Amino acid sequence: MSRPTSRPAIIRALLKKELTAYSRDLVFLGLTLVVLIAAPFLFHALPDSVDESITLGVYPAIPEMIGDAREALAEMGATEEQLAELDDIDLAAGEEGLELIEFESEERLRGVIEGSLELWRTESGEMVYRDKEAGDKKPEDAERVEPDIGVAFPSDFIAGVAAGKDDLTVTVYSQAGIGEEIQTAMKSFVREAAYQIAGRELPVGMPDEDTIVLGDDRMGDQVTMQERMRPLLLFMVLLMETFSMASLVSTEVLQRTVTAVLVTPAKVGDFLAAKTIFGTLMSLSQALIILVFIGGVTSANWSLILAVLVMGAIMFTGIALFVGAAGKDFMGQLFYAMLFTIPLLIPAISVMFPGSAAPWVKALPSYPIIKVLVETTAYGGTWGDAWGSLAYAALWLVVLYFAGLFALKRKVETL
Amino acid sequence: MSLSRIWKVLRKDLALGPRSSIFLWAIVLPFALTLILQVAFGSLFDPKPRLGIVDDGDSSITAAIGDMDGIEFTLLDDAGEMKAQVEANDLDAGLILPQGFDEAVRNGDRPALQFFVGGESYASNRIILTVTAIDLIREIEGSEAPVTVDVVSFGEAGLPMSRRLIPVIVFYALAMAGLFVPGSNLVEEKEQGTLMSLLVTPVKASEVLIAKWLLGVVLSVVLASASLALNGAFGANWAQVLVVILVAGALSSVLGILAGVYAKDSSIMFAIVKGSGIFLFAPTLFYIFPEWPQWIAKIFPLYWIIEPIWQVSVMGEGLGTVWVELVVALGITAALGAAAWWLAKRMQAQMAGQ
Repeated sequence: MSRPTSRPAIIRALLKKELTAYSRDLVFLGLTLVVLIAAPFLFHALPDSVDESITLGVYPAIPEMIGDAREALAEMGATEEQLAELDDIDLAAGEEGLELIEFESEERLRGVIEGSLELWRTESGEMVYRDKEAGDKKPEDAERVEPDIGVAFPSDFIAGVAAGKDDLTVTVYSQAGIGEEIQTAMKSFVREAAYQIAGRELPVGMPDEDTIVLGDDRMGDQVTMQERMRPLLLFMVLLMETFSMASLVSTEVLQRTVTAVLVTPAKVGDFLAAKTIFGTLMSLSQALIILVFIGGVTSANWSLILAVLVMGAIMFTGIALFVGAAGKDFMGQLFYAMLFTIPLLIPAISVMFPGSAAPWVKALPSYPIIKVLVETTAYGGTWGDAWGSLAYAALWLVVLYFAGLFALKRKVETL
Repeated sequence: MSLSRIWKVLRKDLALGPRSSIFLWAIVLPFALTLILQVAFGSLFDPKPRLGIVDDGDSSITAAIGDMDGIEFTLLDDAGEMKAQVEANDLDAGLILPQGFDEAVRNGDRPALQFFVGGESYASNRIILTVTAIDLIREIEGSEAPVTVDVVSFGEAGLPMSRRLIPVIVFYALAMAGLFVPGSNLVEEKEQGTLMSLLVTPVKASEVLIAKWLLGVVLSVVLASASLALNGAFGANWAQVLVVILVAGALSSVLGILAGVYAKDSSIMFAIVKGSGIFLFAPTLFYIFPEWPQWIAKIFPLYWIIEPIWQVSVMGEGLGTVWVELVVALGITAALGAAAWWLAKRMQAQMAGQ
């Protein structure tokens, strides 16, 4: 006669069995390891900053242009006051996002835009030209500067515009691959500069900059590709675990080892509880490992991130139970797993795009989880901001988890 | 070798194939990928500044912006809705043109410009949209610009991302239909014991393999053609496109047969496909990133089938420009076919031993 075994002890024993089975499934173990290694590498290979500037090559240099204009206007009899106004001229004044590169000659500007010359900036800020075809070597400790577009002003541009000359021509050099919107904007930019120099005020009243920016102004502090990818990588881990867990469940169902488990003191409830705990712990622990490598956790947001990852792990475990119960063979189980998980990936992919997601994307079960992850890691979201999404996620979690639980329970009982 | 036996095995696979989940995936994937890559990722790689306009007075600015290729334009009815979209970063900027705006500009009344930018819009997009809008307003004013601006363009415009993604879509059609379907079909027959049953009939292992290979070729040709047609790349030179697809189908299917003969069960087959995935997929990345050193792509076996498809179907070249690639592809097919033949003999001997 043996003593009755407690439920926790049975579940513990089943968890041990799950771990052994998991470690023997070399295909998914290998793929899990690949994801765990590749995800942080991929994350760190992505750009950690956003280049929001248009790099504009200019000839001649602005001080040179102003110097020439000063001489010409003085010869034309301009007053000291009028000459002093030249000091205020800066073609890129107030234009954040426009990086000016000044060139020594129009030929060099043209050559760099055309691609026959390379332009490099040394650590000391010196600009070095490299003619690859002539055999010039790459300058040391220098970074390549590639202007998107170039503008060559005539040497008498400022004086000519101010004097009302009508035959002034500015040349915009551009690679054919540069977007039409940039070419058009540069033409408009040059024309507007000329209007301003000619003293012709804008035909509209411009609003104050503070009043025209809607929402938090993130210029210079944009969400980077790394930050956008973080939820997707975490989701990839949860997804991988869905495949792995579904494989474990379907193997157990197909090989009917579950019937062997049920002739022991373990009940169906213990079996389901062990599967749930194991699936949740495996996916959660892997997501946390990835999080350690890709960062994003702070003392302010760790509890919210943990909570939402727990919800995601349970949700995907529920799906794994459902898929595992439905799959008739390895390929069939794979098919079902893809069928369920690919739509759930869509919200994670949608956050890589600017703007809000389409209504049908918002309706997907994984959307609230992704939303909380993005808002928490990239926008400093708090529990107060997230409660609505968490409630919606909880609703889906209950539906998916119990659907999985019910499907597997029914399958086990019919074996 | 009997052609009639090969045909019978092929006919059986074609008849039973649609019951397989992998077969269904192979059919669905090109359509799903076209939708995902072209609709979604096309705009991710080639983002354009997005401007919303609320036009209460039929302004000429609205028509001019609508005609511009480089700006994604949305006409809205409600200023509140427009501001909400700008704030949510659904638009980079928004412009409200009240009734009589053009008239007021022409009359020199200097109406207040109601222009809004989103906090998350990029600085470059703000500049583009602001200066473009101001330039159009200057045009309404009717004043002549104090300067003429000439644009000098160099080189040729690069291909849009939607075209550069075509090799990725065709690759998946070839990999799923040519590689995964015949390979997993063979493995399933091994697992279920039907291969053993087949081999006790007069059918030889070589005939089974050729039938499976033909299954992969037929399916991959059909799905690669469908993928190209869906992406507008099955052009006027369709006969030449078919030739390069046929060679591609032959090579990808022989890879599938090789994997299928080698793999003992479905999980190993899956591991082979997943494990070799990046090695096979790599050449398609060089079409997305043309600035990478292109010679590296030639290291990967599927380059020799992707490049002819790219040149003939996307770039509209003739077979004469890709004959070297086609010869190399056929050479690889023959070498892999010989390897599959050798493995099949071993497999048959092992099965006979069982």
